[in-house]
Amino acid sequence: MTKDFNPQNINLTKYMFYTGKGGVGKTSTACATAVTLADSGKKVLLISTDPASNLQDVFNTELNNKGVSIKEVPNLVVANLDPVQAATEYRETVIGPYRGKLPDAVLNNMEEQLSGSCTVEIAAFNEFSKFITDEEIQTKYDNIIFDTAPTGHTLRMLQLPSAWDNFISENTHGASCLGQLSGLESQKEVYKKAVATLADGALTTLVLVSRPETAPLTEAERASVELADIGVKNQMLIINGVMTSHDDKISESLFQKQQKALSDMPEKLKPIDTYLVPLRGYNVTGVENIRSLLIKDNLTVSDEIIKAHSIPGLKDVIEDLHNSNKKVIFAMGKGGVGKTTIAAAIALGLSEKGKKVHLTTTDPAAHLKYVIAETEGISMSHIDEQAELKKYQEEVLSKARETMSDDDLAYVEEDLRSPCTQEIAVFRAFAEIVEKAENEVVVIDTAPTGHTLLLLESTQSYNQEIERSKGDIPESAKKLLPRLHNADETEVIIVTLPEATPVYEAMRLEEDLRRAGINNKWWIINSSLYQTGTTNQMLSAKASNEIEWMNKVDAHANGNFAVIPWNPDEIKGESLKALLD
Amino acid sequence: MKKITIYEPAMCCPTGLCGVSVDPELLRISTVSNNLKKKGIEIERHNLTNSPMKFMTNKTVNKMINEKGVDELPFTLVDEEVAIVGRYPTNQEIADFLNISVDSFDEEPTTDK
Repeated sequence: MTKDFNPQNINLTKYMFYTGKGGVGKTSTACATAVTLADSGKKVLLISTDPASNLQDVFNTELNNKGVSIKEVPNLVVANLDPVQAATEYRETVIGPYRGKLPDAVLNNMEEQLSGSCTVEIAAFNEFSKFITDEEIQTKYDNIIFDTAPTGHTLRMLQLPSAWDNFISENTHGASCLGQLSGLESQKEVYKKAVATLADGALTTLVLVSRPETAPLTEAERASVELADIGVKNQMLIINGVMTSHDDKISESLFQKQQKALSDMPEKLKPIDTYLVPLRGYNVTGVENIRSLLIKDNLTVSDEIIKAHSIPGLKDVIEDLHNSNKKVIFAMGKGGVGKTTIAAAIALGLSEKGKKVHLTTTDPAAHLKYVIAETEGISMSHIDEQAELKKYQEEVLSKARETMSDDDLAYVEEDLRSPCTQEIAVFRAFAEIVEKAENEVVVIDTAPTGHTLLLLESTQSYNQEIERSKGDIPESAKKLLPRLHNADETEVIIVTLPEATPVYEAMRLEEDLRRAGINNKWWIINSSLYQTGTTNQMLSAKASNEIEWMNKVDAHANGNFAVIPWNPDEIKGESLKALLD
Repeated sequence: MKKITIYEPAMCCPTGLCGVSVDPELLRISTVSNNLKKKGIEIERHNLTNSPMKFMTNKTVNKMINEKGVDELPFTLVDEEVAIVGRYPTNQEIADFLNISVDSFDEEPTTDK
């Protein structure tokens, strides 16, 4: 059963979580829902839990984690839950009272310990649960809408209340990492309440957002199943960006591709109530466009012209990576920009030039093997968080077995079940893969920006720990940060789309990389409609609006940017070679 | 029986397993203190992250931390007297402080799990 999505005609619950693969339009549809409800007189709170949120671009307003009123939409309050900022505030509540009372060296030691990714996660999670459980917020707003990070991250966030609730219940020797939280027992009540709220279908809806394309639909199915497993059973599906007509080759192939994906809809999504949002000729930024998203199209053709004399292609980027002999190459950017395809094409290109290449992904939702097959010149791997956790637990236990009795081991096992042990396991796996750069070129397809930033963030803070640690540190971990800092070895390719949000996000990413001391030269603009020469009215309106963003990237990257045209077919296997011509 | 208190550097969990590496000393001390606890003997452990207040209120510790900073942590106090600085006590030392046999907390009868 499918109909157009109109929040006013649907009975909506108080809490709504928008989730889905990167680039499917979670933020657009969540914002449109929030604005439509607020316009109809409801009091609405919209919260982003994405570490790389772009709500501030959409509303063109500086946001914080407490909530800011939007002046064009009187009933709407928007908050941005930045985990790093939450961790900073949390750290200050712990350390603040001791400033001037304990020596600076002591405070620094505490600060370092409280800078790990455990703390970031705990702090972000605490704020998140506050928004679900706080009674004042509950009475003040009719609707509380969460625009969440791409699926992997959200699954983790929504599963945490149960994971931590179990961990606290089963833990016999004190609070472990959670000891950082003051008043653990009261936190426990908060987690319990969060779990109950998430599972209550009268209170909470999971809104799965997808494009009419195969990969995001598959991912929506995965999220649907995993979240139903932890009790979030009240679900709906929004399919965003559906084409309703076609009149040239490009628009026809897009239309056909969408129809095929929809008719091949994954089985487990079929019983879920499904709503459609049509493809629009404009970018969804600014309150005016958000208001019209669910109502009407608005075809404005831009008259801007391309400033670059010539636009490099992917092969020029590969040529440069080859000549400068880069050893560690990251593809980074917002979800849905095509990082996996581009990472695979780069691996293929370098391998054709005779390099030995290792292609890997840190994306929990990655599907490298659907894009490219292992060959003689290219080996492949995938950091699987669960498998890495198990591996790390085994390693620690086998070391502990040398000196401990079974009973003592049970005690160690308990700490190994702590939710932050996973972080350390992933970090070590990441270090091990980068270590391969000793002998081959490592191309890394990263998870969407937020996740990647947290990984780099943890690399920085773990590195400080490594420097003063007394335990056994693997060589790979010691070498990781120095290698990432070496511009002769490491290059980050920023991948974006010719649209406002992915470009803004890419610029913030570039800033973060610069702060982290990691080299970036090339930008790649993927899926350009402009380069297809479409004549369809809506698509060419979209294409004309791309020019502004191509010019911005050109200026920003000093001409070191390549453009890849939108391709109607799924690019994989042999067709990857087409990207290299 | 004498009271053992260990003042430790900032850390995440008592076994140190959340850190970037496994420190066998931390594992040992966690196990020993856990085993003693089952016998009703408690070794107090305070670390900077979880209980900075303890580093303020104990005069001896406060003086030491102000003079020496964090580099010489952990401090072990026995009945409020500084006994060991810069490392964890060995099992034998703990047994001696408590005036018990070291075997009595090494061999732990299995508990039902």
